[in-house]
Amino acid sequence: MDAAAMAILLQQLVNSLAISAIIIMIGIGITLVFGLTGIINFAQGELLMLGGVATWLLVGRAGVNFFAALVAAAVIVGAVGFLLERSIFRFTLRRPMNGFIISLGLSVFLQHFVIRFWNSYQKSIPDPVGGVWQVGSIRIAAVRVMVVAVTAAAVGFTFFAISRSRHGLALRAAVADQDTARLMGIPVARYVTAVFVYGSALAGLGGALMIALFPITPFVGQDVVVGGFAVALIGGLGNVAGAVVAGLILGFADGLSAGYGLPEWTEAYSFALMILILLVRPQGLLGGTEGPAIV
Amino acid sequence: MSGRVSGRVASAAFLLLLVALPWISPSYRFLSIAISTGTVAITLYGLAVLFGQAGLMSVGHAALMGVGAYSAAILALRLGIGFWGALPCAMLTAALAAGLIGLPSLRVSGHHFVIITYAFCTLLTIVLTNGGDATGGASGLDLDPVGRLFGVNFDSVRNYYLLVLAALLAAMLATDLIARSGYGRTLRAIRENEALARAVGINTALHKLGAFMLSGAFAGLAGVLQAYYLRHISPGLYGGLPSLYIAMSVMLGGARVLYGPLAGAVIVNFLPEVLSIDPVDSRMAYGAGLVLVILLLPGGVIASLADLGAWAAALARRTAGRWTQLAQGR
Repeated sequence: MDAAAMAILLQQLVNSLAISAIIIMIGIGITLVFGLTGIINFAQGELLMLGGVATWLLVGRAGVNFFAALVAAAVIVGAVGFLLERSIFRFTLRRPMNGFIISLGLSVFLQHFVIRFWNSYQKSIPDPVGGVWQVGSIRIAAVRVMVVAVTAAAVGFTFFAISRSRHGLALRAAVADQDTARLMGIPVARYVTAVFVYGSALAGLGGALMIALFPITPFVGQDVVVGGFAVALIGGLGNVAGAVVAGLILGFADGLSAGYGLPEWTEAYSFALMILILLVRPQGLLGGTEGPAIV
Repeated sequence: MSGRVSGRVASAAFLLLLVALPWISPSYRFLSIAISTGTVAITLYGLAVLFGQAGLMSVGHAALMGVGAYSAAILALRLGIGFWGALPCAMLTAALAAGLIGLPSLRVSGHHFVIITYAFCTLLTIVLTNGGDATGGASGLDLDPVGRLFGVNFDSVRNYYLLVLAALLAAMLATDLIARSGYGRTLRAIRENEALARAVGINTALHKLGAFMLSGAFAGLAGVLQAYYLRHISPGLYGGLPSLYIAMSVMLGGARVLYGPLAGAVIVNFLPEVLSIDPVDSRMAYGAGLVLVILLLPGGVIASLADLGAWAAALARRTAGRWTQLAQGR
């Protein structure tokens, strides 16, 4: 491979990283909520969309600094998640299929709620970081570096919170055996709420990062949610590291197919890959929980 | 017993009303909306067999309608096979496609499988969009009118309405027969306890695929009827969002009662159009309505109405009994 081809490949890989970051962001929310609480929330994509719209309102309409809006989007969507869990999903824990169907209704509701008040057109904000770095022959937009850095920080925090902290231990105990966990004094129901709120906040953060990269519409959730489920199922439910690996695979497949021909089939790869992996390894590439229903 | 008789009378009156509809209110717009509602309702009956009886949910059923519609269009454009020839072929291709989508259900269960059906649906949209000349790409394909058969001109909206109605009644009848038959009992056994069903000798894999293919044939039929009614089809009609609406309508109406799917189609497709409700408002209402129905009336609207009716009848009987006792001076 000559130097020019190498440079193009590296450029594509760098571009793919930012796409991977968004996919990982929604995928981790889904893998945690689905894998640790058993709630299948199809409206996770709409939560991401809400995060994007909130950022657009704050930055575009109110002139708030992007990074303040980023935090605000995570908080706002986390609060929405709290309301949803307490008022709706709490009552579906024993019957996950009902929760799934409710989330379909919710996703339609949220889409049209946003359209109702802020129309269905594309929404975008000016590049919050600006500038392009030249590293050798590769050009890197600073905004993409920011997106990857924020994602890496969120992933790292999530990973250590679950695998190292006291709360993570309690959560894993609750997933492994909720009755025993409850006997040991772990407030299982509260952990379910906490995981749902945390997953929602991650979706809000992902939405803010997404609108920093490209324009979004109220229907963007439908496109990203399947990618998110693909990441969760390919990586293994509840498995943060698996979600990162799966997100990188899908992101690179996306970026490379866009760069090397057949870009119109880009989306098809992730779906085909997901179906294939689910058929061959239903537990996911790295293994995970069975998606238990904690009650 | 009298409840059952009055129920039958009510159904007969309702069906008669459906047949007489073109002569009662001949407005073109009204009949067109009724036609599109009818085609969707046929798909809903297919999904009701799959979900209500076999317990398999699919959020990819619009894709199966798409397979039927595109089969009909391609047959017409490439081989010159018209509506009547395309009908059985499209039902077959849709059933085969459904079998393909159903295959993973033998290996992955519950929610994993539901997500796979959605992925299949999105995949089909991508394939149709990138299909080039064969599928007409993103702009889709055009179809000729249905034409005449036995001297009946199906290009008139009234006759096409009656055709769709006949297909819908056939779908309802088939659904009812399946639910009452031994086959329906087999499917329900699989729904309630798959391991137990297998243990008593039911070939669960065969029956799950069979239910899926049957349901696909319904969707294929609906797809052809819809395609020849619209006379133009494009990938967007058969993507993820239409599939979600189909799943939603079945749940809203109720999958295990005869009039449930029809009620779902009427609530989601017919009423907002006829009443000219703003589509954004009506969709917000349906999203919220679905959440409430599942939380409060998990059997669907129709089953809950039936429960309410039974409760009212019991109350009336009790009250009548009380009065008789009083009258007899006890």
